[in-house]
Amino acid sequence: MIHALLFLPALAGVLALLVPAWARLLGLVTTAVTAVLAFLLLQAGGVAGYTELPLLKEAGVYYAVGADGVGAVFALAISASVFLAFLAVREVPGRMLALGLLMTTGLLGIFLSYDLVLFYFFFEAALIPSLLLLGLYGGAGRVPALVKFALFTLVGSFLMLAGILAARYLGGAESFLMRDLLAHRLGGTAGVLAFWAFALAFAVKAPLFPLHVWMPDFHAQNHPSGFADVMGTLYKVGVFGFFRFAIPLFPEAFRAAQPYLLALAAITALGAAWIAYAQKDWKRLLAYGALSHMGVAALGVFSGTQVGAVGGLFLLAASALYTGGLFLYAGWMHRRFGSLELAPTHGLAKAAPALAALGLFLFLAMVGLPGLAGFPGEFLSALGAWQASPFWTLFGFSAVIAAAAYALTAYQRLFHGPPGKAVADLAGGEWAFATLAVLVVGFLGVYPKFFSAPLAEAARAFVAVLGGGQ
Amino acid sequence: MSVLWILFLTGLLAALAGLWWPERAVRNLVRAGLLLALVWLPFVPEQSGFGGLFLMDGFARALTLVGVLAALLASLVGSGYLERTGMGAFEYHALLAFSTFGLAVMASSANLVVILVGLELLSLPLYALAALRYDPASEEAGLKYFLLGAVAAAVFFYGLVLHFGATGSFALGAVGKGPLFAVAVALLLAGLFFKAALTPFSWWAPDVYQGAPTPVTLFMATGVKAAAFAALARVAVGVGMGGIGGAFLALAVLLTVFFGNLAALAQGEAKRLLAYSSVAHAGYIALALFGPDPAPAVGYYLLAYALSTGLAFAVLAQVDGGRGVPFGEVRGLVRRSPMLAGMLLLALFSLAGLPPLVGFWGKYLAFVQAARGGQYGLLAFALLTAVVAAYYYLRLLAQAFFLEPEAKGGLEVRPLAALALGLVAFLVVALGVFPGAVYGFFNVGGVVP
Repeated sequence: MIHALLFLPALAGVLALLVPAWARLLGLVTTAVTAVLAFLLLQAGGVAGYTELPLLKEAGVYYAVGADGVGAVFALAISASVFLAFLAVREVPGRMLALGLLMTTGLLGIFLSYDLVLFYFFFEAALIPSLLLLGLYGGAGRVPALVKFALFTLVGSFLMLAGILAARYLGGAESFLMRDLLAHRLGGTAGVLAFWAFALAFAVKAPLFPLHVWMPDFHAQNHPSGFADVMGTLYKVGVFGFFRFAIPLFPEAFRAAQPYLLALAAITALGAAWIAYAQKDWKRLLAYGALSHMGVAALGVFSGTQVGAVGGLFLLAASALYTGGLFLYAGWMHRRFGSLELAPTHGLAKAAPALAALGLFLFLAMVGLPGLAGFPGEFLSALGAWQASPFWTLFGFSAVIAAAAYALTAYQRLFHGPPGKAVADLAGGEWAFATLAVLVVGFLGVYPKFFSAPLAEAARAFVAVLGGGQ
Repeated sequence: MSVLWILFLTGLLAALAGLWWPERAVRNLVRAGLLLALVWLPFVPEQSGFGGLFLMDGFARALTLVGVLAALLASLVGSGYLERTGMGAFEYHALLAFSTFGLAVMASSANLVVILVGLELLSLPLYALAALRYDPASEEAGLKYFLLGAVAAAVFFYGLVLHFGATGSFALGAVGKGPLFAVAVALLLAGLFFKAALTPFSWWAPDVYQGAPTPVTLFMATGVKAAAFAALARVAVGVGMGGIGGAFLALAVLLTVFFGNLAALAQGEAKRLLAYSSVAHAGYIALALFGPDPAPAVGYYLLAYALSTGLAFAVLAQVDGGRGVPFGEVRGLVRRSPMLAGMLLLALFSLAGLPPLVGFWGKYLAFVQAARGGQYGLLAFALLTAVVAAYYYLRLLAQAFFLEPEAKGGLEVRPLAALALGLVAFLVVALGVFPGAVYGFFNVGGVVP
């Protein structure tokens, strides 16, 4: 089952590359199936479907996959986000969608791997479709944006590869399986260096200040439909990387680095929200908004507490859904107005009330309104972070106020100006997306236990490693 | 032994047949011979002959396989280029077969004299091949390659003689010490650094790779590299990596990955860029020699590298009209031929070392050896330069994918060449996803008896 979940998107992606006309249908069917599979894995509990097959046995590399609570939650969140993306897009190149499907396998693999080299394999494999999405379908400035994105990512990941090799060969583990590596932890100076190699790679991919500079251009230059942005949002796996790999493998080094990491996360959270406030472009606004959320999620995980880790991961999964939804929403705006400018002249609330309501709903989720998907993650992150550092918690969580400022200002500019030209309201298939997005985001808001219970199970082990608080 | 006979007879028959038969027949003869050698190789038993002069061990078999594969690819994708540039001569195929024979000799011996003989057998046909196209660039490539190749062979010969003086033996693995032995080691390695294109003995590579006909460049970059590393691995391990050999090699690796990657950044011609990239890759392969078990890593890296670089040059050979491949020629390739562009993409991402392509496993295995050998500083430096490499591969890809074409019209690819390209592209992906599929063949013991 877990193998089908992993490789179905890749197979569908290859098929869709060959027959681009089917891409959208294939994508909808595939991600619906993977969502169901992920749901079943979520119900199974434990490390569901754990499998260990030699990939390159002589070198200690295994195809080791399984879905613990975190893996299953993210598999479900990824499937749902990509499904929503396929639902929302209209009149886009089929091959672009095919690349998205190929990338989905890489993304799922990141969350389901239990072998460090296999994780690296998926981590990098997702990069190629991501680069192609930007390079082939991006805007006028796509090549510089692509180079920036690729170089940041590769510097981080090549360093991480060195860290991976060091973790095994200096630590004396038999293989790259997580259970072997956790039994032979690398300590001392080498452990600190290896931790920072991982930390850099994940800080680029979280992203955290000051390694986030690739991200605004990445989003601004991607295809206006928002499809590639959804994939890019899902690719921001740094916080998860800290949770699953960097911190459990090098707990001592993490303890020493914790104050600095908390500070970086808090600065990211507040700084990005501040910058978002000044943006005049949909995608840049969303990019900085998402960045701010990543800072909050990182605060939760860096707290080293169970409740904080659950909050951080919850926020990561949930924000993929509503931030992705907003990127797709921005894509609709681009279809209607031909630009991504946050112009104050549209007066949408009068002209297209349903469309405006959907926008408000997604923005409110982003702001973290209780009852919507953004709230539980932020709240739990704050609870955890407070135990680690009240100062940085206060600092970082002022971002929540700033979020209200940037999101509501943007809403006001777009929707409450004087009515401009006539705009089509939600129509046909757009209703399907709107209904589903509202249902998913609302459901996670009123029943957060659906995600938080399985996350808590995995976070217990995480805390046990650190030997820390609740 | 039987593989050597197959290759030798293929070359001989092709040279003779060319006098009476049409070019087409010679071409097919050579391809059939190479294919036979390729499928026969896995079944050849490990053996040695001529009192230990000839040594067909697992390592020799693995690297000969890579070399024959490269020759076959060069033969299959070369015909279209030869006709476009008016060099439709049978000599190309016959010389290729002879060179492959030399490659096999060089790979299957642990005796310095036989290695030298193999080196010359490999090189002489290549000098002619490099100068095969009738124009100044090609002549310059041939002459440059010949002069520097001769110097390299002479340096190697000096080393060989001093090695005999220091140890009383031509066989690798003989124990020696003292300054005489140290000089011998330095000279032997320097001679092979030339052929493997390790800096500071690599400055011929860009000019020769750029000037030579593209299918010949393909063979030089892949097959010759395999033979050079077969000998280099045996010599390096044979003389021991503890003393001057290790220090010399470490310095060469450092310079190679630095200058190779840095110089590639500034190139505006695809063949020249790949030439510098091939220099840089030589540095990564040499990293594996520091490990306790270098043979599988060297072999697998060479396979991965030969498939990827081979694929890249094979694509360029379809684009090249005989005047090289400046970036303008590659621009917008995806609009002219999506298939070729897709293959170039696979090749370059594989060379950059990104999974799920075979190049990743080559790099991974080589880096593991460096890590096990305790060369963490060198490894970290190599990894950083690998990022630079990713940048120039992206530059070339950006030309092919993200910009509008200068030249109009589609590109015609011959059916056989298309088949070969497709197969190699398939291998680049398949071996990336299932690295264990052929790893057993490369997982051989030591490189020196």
